[in-house]
Amino acid sequence: MTSGQPRVFLVDDHELIRTGIRSELAGSVDIVGEADDVQAAIEMIVERTPDVVLLDVHMPGGGGLAVLRAVCEKSLNVRFLALSVSDSSEDVISVIRAGARGYVTKNISGPDLLDAIYRVAAGDAVFSPRLAGFVLDAFSLEGRNLEAGDVDPDLDLLTPRERQVLRLIARGYSYRDIATELEISTKTVESHVSSVLRKLQLSNRHQLTHWASERHLN
Amino acid sequence: MSLETPPRPVIGSPCRPYRRGVENAILGGVCGGLAIRLGVNERTIRVIFSLLALVSGVGLLLYMLLWLTLPRANEEHSIAHRLLGRRRELHRVLFGFILVVAFIIVLDRLGIPSLGIYTWPFLLSVAGVIGVWRGATPDEHKHLEELVRSAPLIRVPTTPTKKNLLLRVLLGTVLVLLGLRTLSRLHGYWGGSTSVLFGTMILIAGVLILLAPWWLATLNELSGERRARVRVEERANVAAHLHDSVLQTLTLIERAAGDESAVVRLARTQERELRQWLFDPHRVVGDEAGTYTSQLRSLESEIENDYGVTVELVVVGDCAADDDVLALVAAGREAAINAARWSDASSLSIFAEVEPAIVSLFVRDRGKGFDVDAIPHDRQGIALSIRQRMIQHGGTSTVKSTRDVGTEVQLSLPRTP
Repeated sequence: MTSGQPRVFLVDDHELIRTGIRSELAGSVDIVGEADDVQAAIEMIVERTPDVVLLDVHMPGGGGLAVLRAVCEKSLNVRFLALSVSDSSEDVISVIRAGARGYVTKNISGPDLLDAIYRVAAGDAVFSPRLAGFVLDAFSLEGRNLEAGDVDPDLDLLTPRERQVLRLIARGYSYRDIATELEISTKTVESHVSSVLRKLQLSNRHQLTHWASERHLN
Repeated sequence: MSLETPPRPVIGSPCRPYRRGVENAILGGVCGGLAIRLGVNERTIRVIFSLLALVSGVGLLLYMLLWLTLPRANEEHSIAHRLLGRRRELHRVLFGFILVVAFIIVLDRLGIPSLGIYTWPFLLSVAGVIGVWRGATPDEHKHLEELVRSAPLIRVPTTPTKKNLLLRVLLGTVLVLLGLRTLSRLHGYWGGSTSVLFGTMILIAGVLILLAPWWLATLNELSGERRARVRVEERANVAAHLHDSVLQTLTLIERAAGDESAVVRLARTQERELRQWLFDPHRVVGDEAGTYTSQLRSLESEIENDYGVTVELVVVGDCAADDDVLALVAAGREAAINAARWSDASSLSIFAEVEPAIVSLFVRDRGKGFDVDAIPHDRQGIALSIRQRMIQHGGTSTVKSTRDVGTEVQLSLPRTP
């Protein structure tokens, strides 16, 4: 086992995708195992406690969400990065809310994926442009639906700075580009993104549910 | 029996015509419907029907008659209406009835006395039940199936155990024997109408318990068949779609194997189409041509098709595409074409957002960039066409570019309320 390299576990029901990811990551991370179904994934992740799990959102038998819930119950020090081709915002948001530290699409380039894995391993959040768009959409609608008598005291809407960061991510900026653009440090950018993630995960406000159901209806 | 108070008709509200109840139905909803119609407690009506059933089975017959001839609430036709309308169903009901008559005759021959004065009501009721089963709507079928399933002792466990089976056979046999014995004593010194009724009921219960697994298996098979048919149809639809789109594209990709950009283009086009089909099935192509998002989506496919670069499009919010928005998209199109043509980047990001007061569009590439102040002469026109177009519609445009980092064109337009 090489120290310093994050220990990565692959969960995907497609052999081709796993092979592709494995060859792209070979040498840069320590791949400690892979699984192609929910049950096997849960057992092996609990047994091997990898640093980062690359998790497919869509799988038979409950999907990535089932794996996330089962493993998070055990409160191990395992971080999840959702990896999906899914375009459906409900799927993505629900995986994030269940505890994933980030979401990237499967057409991500090898170096970008590696970067995302290292970032998740270090405890940061990884937002792809698409995820940033989903989150902005969710919170902007939330803001719009807010009536005077409907204000939740815990309502931690995004701060203007967080919104700014999310917009830049959606525009295709890397964290370093954002730091340059806003004249702040990369660490600050990371902390903004982490705080957005925390708000998503901690809030169980009805507005977000409402947003999801509205999207579903449309 | 339901403990809830029966729904009473409100005076002045239309309560005709008489319908069988749905919510308060135990069996066919006849009593429940009558209770609603007359505004009487449904328990009273049930007691009356039960008493009438004891009096030479009149209640039973009346019940069956009403069950067959009254439409269920929310339904247009009665069961009898449906049965008479279908010749094949009618034949089946008659066939079932003949079977029951034959059964009684066999009992008679075997020296087991028939049911006395209850024979005919019983026979007619059995025929009625067969009729109800054949003519019921799927909705009512569901209600009846639930009824059978929830009846204690008849419930069939998903995995039948030996012990379970033994208990079932034992109980069923005992009840059947007990029933036959009670009936066979009819002409004995303590025979009478009560023992006939009890004998019959015990007999029926025994038979039900013995045959329940078989009966339910048949039921499940039938609904399983229905489900399978739906699945086959669904599968045919999916297969047709996959053939029309995915298979065709794969063939094209095989033929274009040497041409990398053509392969990428085909794959991306197919991916977009499949995504839309999977995640956005209700949106028909060309349906929402009038919105900002749909304009941007067609821009995305245009750029990907014509220039072989991948476009990452993120849209937040949406609005109608009026002239100003169309101009914004046109300016964005120029910017995207520029990026695709000159930046040498393999992908570009387009981000669009609709806010209450502003519509914005960002086109960004991570290509080689250029010096904005020294735009080559042949590209000035394009920059102007972006800028001028935005100014004409009251918007603004900014071009930011850094060598070897990339270029971003920022466009925004105030929204007219």
